[in-house]
Amino acid sequence: MPSPSLTVNGRTVPLDGVPAHTTALDWLRESGLVGAKEGCAEGECGACSVLVARPGTTTPTRWTALNACLVPVLALDGQEVVTAEGLGTPDDLHPVQHEMAVRGGSQCGYCTPGFVCSMAAEFYRPDRAPGEPTPEHGANGFDLHALSGNLCRCTGYRPIRDAAYALAAPDADDALAGRQTRPAPAATPTDVPGFARPADLPAALALLAEHPDAVVVAGSTDHGVEVNLRGLRARQVVAIDRLPELHGVSVTDEVVEIGAAVTLSEVAARLDGAVPLLDLLLPQFASVLIRNGATLGGNLGTGSPIGDAAPVLLALDASLVLVSAAGEREVALADYFTGYRRSVRTAGELIRAVRIPQPQPGLVGFTKIAKRRFDDISSVAVAVGVDVVDGEVTRATIGLGGVAATPIRARATEEALVGARWPDVAAAADVLAGEGTPLDDHRASAAYRRAMLRQSLLKIAAAEVPA
Amino acid sequence: MTTTERAVGSDVRRIDGPDKVRGRVPYAYEHELGAQSVFVAIVQSPVARGRVTSIDASAAEAVPGVLAVLTHENAPRLGDVAEEILVLQSPVVQYAGEPVAVVVAETSEVARDAVGRVRVDYESADPDVVLSVDRDDLYPPEQLMAGFETDSVIGDVDAALAEAPVTVDVVYETPNQHNNPIEMHATVARWDGDVLRMWDANQGPHNLVPVITEAFGITEDQLHITSPYVGGAFGSKAYTHVHQLLAGMAAKVTGRTVKLELTRQQMFSLVGHRTPTIQRLRLGARPDGTLTAISHEVVEHTSQNAEFAEQTATATRLMYSAPARRTTHRLAKLDVPAPTIMRAPGEAPGMYALESAMDELAAELGMDPVELRLRNEPDRDPERDVPWSTRNLVACLTQGAERFGWAGRDHRPGVREDGRWLVGTGVAAATYPTRRRPSQARIEAVAGKPYVVSIDASDIGTGAWTTLTQIAADALGVPMDQVRLRIGDSRLPQASGAGGSTGITSWGPAIMAAAQELHDRFGGQVPADGVTVTGSSGPGDEAEQLSSHAFGAHFAEVRVDRDTGEVRVPRMTGVFAVGRVINTVTARSQLLGGMTMGLSMALHEESVLDERRGHYANHDLAEYHIAANADVGEVDIAWVDEVDDAHNPLGAKGIGEIGIVGSAAAIGNAYWHATGRRVRDLPITPDKWFR
Repeated sequence: MPSPSLTVNGRTVPLDGVPAHTTALDWLRESGLVGAKEGCAEGECGACSVLVARPGTTTPTRWTALNACLVPVLALDGQEVVTAEGLGTPDDLHPVQHEMAVRGGSQCGYCTPGFVCSMAAEFYRPDRAPGEPTPEHGANGFDLHALSGNLCRCTGYRPIRDAAYALAAPDADDALAGRQTRPAPAATPTDVPGFARPADLPAALALLAEHPDAVVVAGSTDHGVEVNLRGLRARQVVAIDRLPELHGVSVTDEVVEIGAAVTLSEVAARLDGAVPLLDLLLPQFASVLIRNGATLGGNLGTGSPIGDAAPVLLALDASLVLVSAAGEREVALADYFTGYRRSVRTAGELIRAVRIPQPQPGLVGFTKIAKRRFDDISSVAVAVGVDVVDGEVTRATIGLGGVAATPIRARATEEALVGARWPDVAAAADVLAGEGTPLDDHRASAAYRRAMLRQSLLKIAAAEVPA
Repeated sequence: MTTTERAVGSDVRRIDGPDKVRGRVPYAYEHELGAQSVFVAIVQSPVARGRVTSIDASAAEAVPGVLAVLTHENAPRLGDVAEEILVLQSPVVQYAGEPVAVVVAETSEVARDAVGRVRVDYESADPDVVLSVDRDDLYPPEQLMAGFETDSVIGDVDAALAEAPVTVDVVYETPNQHNNPIEMHATVARWDGDVLRMWDANQGPHNLVPVITEAFGITEDQLHITSPYVGGAFGSKAYTHVHQLLAGMAAKVTGRTVKLELTRQQMFSLVGHRTPTIQRLRLGARPDGTLTAISHEVVEHTSQNAEFAEQTATATRLMYSAPARRTTHRLAKLDVPAPTIMRAPGEAPGMYALESAMDELAAELGMDPVELRLRNEPDRDPERDVPWSTRNLVACLTQGAERFGWAGRDHRPGVREDGRWLVGTGVAAATYPTRRRPSQARIEAVAGKPYVVSIDASDIGTGAWTTLTQIAADALGVPMDQVRLRIGDSRLPQASGAGGSTGITSWGPAIMAAAQELHDRFGGQVPADGVTVTGSSGPGDEAEQLSSHAFGAHFAEVRVDRDTGEVRVPRMTGVFAVGRVINTVTARSQLLGGMTMGLSMALHEESVLDERRGHYANHDLAEYHIAANADVGEVDIAWVDEVDDAHNPLGAKGIGEIGIVGSAAAIGNAYWHATGRRVRDLPITPDKWFR
């Protein structure tokens, strides 16, 4: 196996001797590329955003913005990265840099390189096309949500939006646009002390059998926080985000199966509307920067009670395919969580895929209540799926987040709903307000969470989406 | 000294923009990259009140790569500096997060690992961190920050309130807030012999010089601080904090180049915060809206180790006419870190309360809140009894109302719906003092070369690199490319720090004075062998003879989801009277950024103190929310024609802070207009809709 390396701004640099916990951000900055900044070390501010060449869904390669503060640099072995320093030429600013500079998008400048990279990723989005402007889309097709994971304390964001909405299409001879038409770097198997990227699933399972205490990482959006803020120094990290066996997405009449390592951004693109409830969830999940790395497997694997994927998948009655050296088993998601950040998954087991049975509920709805519109943790998340026949609810599945030590099914409410006239759900909403054991904390009071449970069902019933 | 193409007043682009978008300007921590630097990590007290009874650093010292562990037992002794920054000088612990030891190591990884191996035992008592008006230990500080009187009383306020036909008597609360510039505080320090060399993130190197020289017992010549680029500050980088001293100590002990960057979490305890306030507002008025009495009583906190008395009610002393008026400030000394200044200290929380109370009075009177303000416009400073240098609040209110579409507003609250959204609009006024501080500038002229203009000014994102170059170009009568500006270095001519919106009014005239000196001595001709001239500027008679303030008016539309309580602000208008505008692009950004921070104050920002442990529970950017892109709607900014020549020769007023003043009140007032409910404690989070 060749020694690990990374191509940054067109130059290939060895990664020999780099510890497993070293983030791409720290490595870049120690290498002298200090354009990417640390503002929070937990994927909240986006000052560390860089561009990574990833396989695309509509072009062979897609420049994808990632939080460099979360990703172990060894996870980028064999990959291509572009930082703010690598955009433009010594003589000319890149179009994104030019617009940011002339429209006052940079004040103190500290968040700027991160904004530039996030903006460049959207600049290069292959299906970005001019259209009718909306408050969050420019006439140039720029989706402002591309900047949802970048915080700025100086500008009030409007000069940054001005820059984003002023961007034209990339020039015909734009090198990075051209790069998107050629295949992305393949995943490079990596095996250095403390960090391994196995080539395939059997190799991964063998590694896990050998290292029962190994930390499994995909997008590293959770692991990176553990490393940076809690000082986690795992003896062995196993990167599974490029395992081909975890990358399938298939839709049949019986089941929708989503590979556990497909990023949330890819899930949305590749499902192409096949799971309407996920389409309601995904735009509200953290930020684009996080969704570009985060996976369903990771969101469920951490077992967090406030991960937003679980309530939706519970409402879809989803199950997980767990795989180990001993073989596969399928576990209903409702039976998966056993306690705060705990689950039935054993050491040596991986989540291979999420399965959503067909047909999905006829009507679905999702509400995420948070203190800030985007880039925030849910106070309460409620996902609902119901079948309605002749105005009567015949089946109901409800998943809740943020109201107990684990994501839960709202079983009593489901029972109360069955037989009810839709959308007259007031009685069931009262039951829902009593589900779980919500806490008082700085995100919301228990009373507010209860009120939001009730209101969520009322709101969903008033505006449900046909599946 | 005139040129047809003036740079001042134009929309010239930020000259540091191209390098910033390329990621190529060096911030403090990015200096000395090639040096064999060592790294500092801090051991912080989990105890908010108590003392260190023992420290065992042996395990940490045994880690390979650890160079030193400094504690109160072995750290270098510091000179006579403020108690709040006397770090590692005593075993006493006065706030949660106080440094009790630092580890210096060859790598940051080793330093951080070793921090966990320093064993510290404490004797502790329950912390006292809860501010309330019922405390029996509230006391009046000797004076407020910036030298303001603690209290002001004119007339018999209680009698006037008792007689007033219409009154409001309301209490507003604002929470602890943290500045949170995106760049963390950072210092690189090295002793070159007996000279302390520092690269540091601050709001003006000269702000730090007196403190750091005293701390280390060195002369000004023995200290050299460089900070050309600073990644935001908003007050937290104005003063010397413990980390700069820790870096200097660590460099002294190890003889190495030391790098110290605080973590985001550490910034919640080590670089200050905005005090919470509890403010009682009582207003008395005649039925026609004429104010007869204003009373503004403030309770706020300070720390055990500092008396920081924020001037919360001083804006109330000048906003409106009223024959009877009173402002008071009382402090509680709590087991919290020392508060500091945060964008518009005093005015931001104080005007939130006053302008909310004015809105409540307008509602009591059944009057247009714009009209209520116009009716109480004072023609002189009502407490100092001196003329205004310029006061254009009326123009701001009327032009703002026009731009926003205020005319015809139905003043009844809670009667507009758009689907599930309750819709309302609100207005609030703004003010911020105009001041100047002593500053000096130097111009080096060599025939055939650009002028070199030097001043220890600071650009923390304000645009000073650009605006000072514009001012110098005009003063010298040359295009901007004939000026090379040098700022952010303690070896440059002394200048005031970037704070209190005093930068442009202090630095600009100093540069103009130097240019005038050049002109007076040499006319338009630079001597063949070159010449260096200096100029200085500072407060003059205007400070005593005039009352000088920027003014502004905010208008906001608010939508509240009646099912969830979520709040949106789809549009805001701000019109300001800020004297001569030097650069229309940077001015807009500054005002917009201030208004957005006001929006953030209204809806998001709150540092939650854990009452049992005394620490800030939400000490990171995931849990301490600042407004994100999607929170900001359409923002319309304008300024009225104004030149304040009476205050300073540039005719400018500061622009960095007025944007935040009053914007939270406009949003709170619009929330009431939308819903019919007053939320009197910021931030207006969704759950407050349900109580």
